[in-house]
Amino acid sequence: MNEIVPPPPADEAGVEAEDLAQLHRALARIWIDFESALLRVPLVARLHAGKWRLEDYRRLLVNLRQQVVEGSRWISRAASNFGPAHEDLRSMFVGHAAEEHRDYRLLEDNFVATGGSRADILSAPKNIGSEALSAFMYHAASQRDPVGLLGAMFIIEGLGNRIAGPWSALIADQLNLPPEAISFFAYHSANDVHHLAEFDEALALALREPGAADAIARHARVVARLYRLQLEEIDNV
Amino acid sequence: MLAEAMRATLADAEIGTAEIGYLATATTQNDLMVPGLASQVHAALGLPPLELASLQSVCASSMMALKSAWLQLRTGEHGAALVGGGEFASRYFRPGFYRDTASLAPGGTLPSDAAFMRWTLSDGAAALLLESRPAARGLSLRIDWISLRSFADRFDPCMTAGAARDVEGNLVPWSHHDGIGAAAAAGAFQLRQDIAMLHRMLPVWLGEFMRLVDEGLIRPDAVDWFACHYSAHSLREEMIRLATRAGCMIPEDRWFSNLADKGNVGAASIFLILDDLLRSGNLRAGQSIVLAVPESGQCIMAYAGLTVVGPEGEPD
Repeated sequence: MNEIVPPPPADEAGVEAEDLAQLHRALARIWIDFESALLRVPLVARLHAGKWRLEDYRRLLVNLRQQVVEGSRWISRAASNFGPAHEDLRSMFVGHAAEEHRDYRLLEDNFVATGGSRADILSAPKNIGSEALSAFMYHAASQRDPVGLLGAMFIIEGLGNRIAGPWSALIADQLNLPPEAISFFAYHSANDVHHLAEFDEALALALREPGAADAIARHARVVARLYRLQLEEIDNV
Repeated sequence: MLAEAMRATLADAEIGTAEIGYLATATTQNDLMVPGLASQVHAALGLPPLELASLQSVCASSMMALKSAWLQLRTGEHGAALVGGGEFASRYFRPGFYRDTASLAPGGTLPSDAAFMRWTLSDGAAALLLESRPAARGLSLRIDWISLRSFADRFDPCMTAGAARDVEGNLVPWSHHDGIGAAAAAGAFQLRQDIAMLHRMLPVWLGEFMRLVDEGLIRPDAVDWFACHYSAHSLREEMIRLATRAGCMIPEDRWFSNLADKGNVGAASIFLILDDLLRSGNLRAGQSIVLAVPESGQCIMAYAGLTVVGPEGEPD
């Protein structure tokens, strides 16, 4: 009776539009479960309840920095493992690694702006969750043609795109901090949007590889759980 | 009002009242705290003894009632069931219910969580007759499946009545106050909605849709009518973008809503929507309908799949 909405366009390599839609659906469902579960993490629940103290924010910065500092390193390792058949993905990973290269310094500067000492944030060890997350990232990045890592990126970029903005507003609201103390979250909420567009292209490229969709969804699921573990294990080093 | 709606349903029916074996009602706040609404409706209808269920939640109580009635028929326990929802929120939105309570700020203004409800809810009631066979005349709706899921594992109460928050923000039920006067003064009897939390529920509701697509219960391009109980304009754009990308967007010209002329009538809404859809004259045998009823109370999402069928024996 009515006109059917056109399916999303398949890419030039002939990836089926329905396969791509199915993967988007799988990732969206993983994201939704992740976002819901995140609200149950004590630190995050207190932030949403308006009960944060300055120590909570400082603690988050210190714990987060130890994982973020590894970011461009695992992305670079993954890039080096993409063979000739995945040139486009390799160059995307290389570009991404360069872009996020010094990201962790924002966290250090934010920590100092809240009155913390730079030596403290530089010397803090990873918490148990960050250890697990980093170990998985390096493990995954060390495989040949690690297309599954797009699932990991989906979660990490989603955090910047969908979580960092609301968090920076909540933090600014509760802690009366100057902008230079919350620039990490503000920066990511403003800049990770174009990464998501780039990500959509990368997904279409990756789907040419048999089994890629399952691998991407699986990596997303694992990283979502380990990222949450990192927030559950704040200061448990 | 619900009894009136059910009486009208019975007047339209091809069967006599004695054949009704089951009666299920849905509402957000009962007229009486005790007993349940279905008992009062049963009494008002003057029906002989029957099995009943009083379902109380918010909007999704309608789907709880519908599903219980459908299952009663499917097991063969009963041959016909009446199911309906009713709301009369304007009664407790009258000024006297706010006067002298902590909800009213100096100057006589209401906080947004309490005022929001006053602007968005309407009164009304509607009912359906369920049978294990199609009507001999006209079109019937066959229920193919009903899915209802709670996400209270991850959300705190979002729409509340019967409790007020203490200084630390904890919900204190009315019966935990010093007395009925103290509970009322604290604003325990007002219906409230946490609007920010409501927005966080939208992706979860959409995620349920995706699950049903993945499980093969919904085929977005095969749905002729998408009867969605709610309207959330604020996140609509993002929802549509997400849904389109995930291959599960039902074109907007197949959405059916009566929000503009019936309003949001809570537990009665989906029955009113079905009634208006049946009366619209646009239904054809063989068409597929998907119902969507989200509930923000503590996050529930219900969907159902229906098929329009003609009279028995007549080809679709």
